[in-house]
Amino acid sequence: MLLRPFNFHTPNSLESAVQAYGKLRDVKLQAGGTFLLNSLKTMKRKGVKTPQHIISLAHIPELRGIEDQGDCVVIKSMTNIDEIYDSPLLTGNLGVLRVAARNISSQLIRNMATLGGNLTCRYTWTEMPAVMVASRARMHFVGVDGKEEIVPAEDFFKNAAKTDKIFTHVSIKKDDGISFVYYRAKKSVHVDIPLLSLCVTTRLVKGKFSQTIVAVNNGVAFAQRDRKLEEFLNGKSPGKTLAETALEHLDAAIYDARGTDYKKYMFRVGIKHILRDLTEKHR
Amino acid sequence: MTKLNINKREYQLDLKGHETLLEVLRDNLGLTGTKTACEESECGTCTVVMEGKAVLSCITLAANCVGKEITTIEGLADGEQLHPVQQAFIDHGAVQCGFCIPGMIMSAKALLDKNPEPTLEEIQYGLDGNLCRCACYLKIFDAIRDAGEKMKTLKGS
Repeated sequence: MLLRPFNFHTPNSLESAVQAYGKLRDVKLQAGGTFLLNSLKTMKRKGVKTPQHIISLAHIPELRGIEDQGDCVVIKSMTNIDEIYDSPLLTGNLGVLRVAARNISSQLIRNMATLGGNLTCRYTWTEMPAVMVASRARMHFVGVDGKEEIVPAEDFFKNAAKTDKIFTHVSIKKDDGISFVYYRAKKSVHVDIPLLSLCVTTRLVKGKFSQTIVAVNNGVAFAQRDRKLEEFLNGKSPGKTLAETALEHLDAAIYDARGTDYKKYMFRVGIKHILRDLTEKHR
Repeated sequence: MTKLNINKREYQLDLKGHETLLEVLRDNLGLTGTKTACEESECGTCTVVMEGKAVLSCITLAANCVGKEITTIEGLADGEQLHPVQQAFIDHGAVQCGFCIPGMIMSAKALLDKNPEPTLEEIQYGLDGNLCRCACYLKIFDAIRDAGEKMKTLKGS
């Protein structure tokens, strides 16, 4: 037996999921299950107590799909990573989601893992949080009282991705004037764990970068913005020396947190890489 | 009792919520073609196809599969007639120890059903979750390309 016994609940509507989540104690939500089931196995091996109840969100149609709502696109929480990669609706500034999705783990995991799981599992090394922060995404939740709460992704991760609500979807504004770059470095270990996810969105106004967001996921903290680098980039023109000089304007604490020399070096390689990409895009 | 649709056959099972699909296939139904190895989503030997997509049965709860169409390696052949992917693996000598092969074949089937003419890069990408310790990858990739062509011909005829 790989898992310890638990009571498994499979609600088929958001309303019944909310009711069950409000009523049960010692309960965990299951999205794609790629993090949850492996962590339950590890807890069993280590003799750690596991939850009594698991609520699967897999049978709730309201939580699946990608919708074009005119000025924004909505991605529901139970949408698979592979569905994001395949979606024809994610173009322009939203193309960054497809790029990030393509780089996540393996095809088998991409087929099972969901956006909701990636954003709310509270592992610090997942890929999508940096993308959401850089895209100014708004995360929608529903509480056990049935009320909706909307939280900017940046605030959600600033609060260590804590919530006692059910995450239902994200909404991201369409904006063809915004360009993006995404970079992911991974550890060379048996499991595919990103060492770094970097996402930059910016707008070129009169040949200069503006409204730049540099979102960083360094693997040891939740996604955060490098405001020092943003400040440096805003007002600069794309150019050959930009990537090199930018390294002198990093918020080093973000990149050097619990880092080995290799990690610190690789993070700077990542920064140079994406800034060169950004320059290329605007050449 | 819970009903599961596996290889186009309906099974009535007394499922417990915490049982993985891998355990149910192998221990309850005797469908041991689906292999068990790492048991934590790293190796791909337990791959089955669910609703047209290759998934890992070691991190799939069986009780979550109600109403879904599941295909395992045992469900591919049509009587004595092997599925084109199975035949291509034999023709190309793509099987060494064979342990990873059921998972490889299921991932390949899902890929070819969606894209019968994959490039080498698309094959590598589509099978990036299936590990072969004998490192038979080149022959496996050749077999998949060949199987894709055969499947296309069969569809056309």
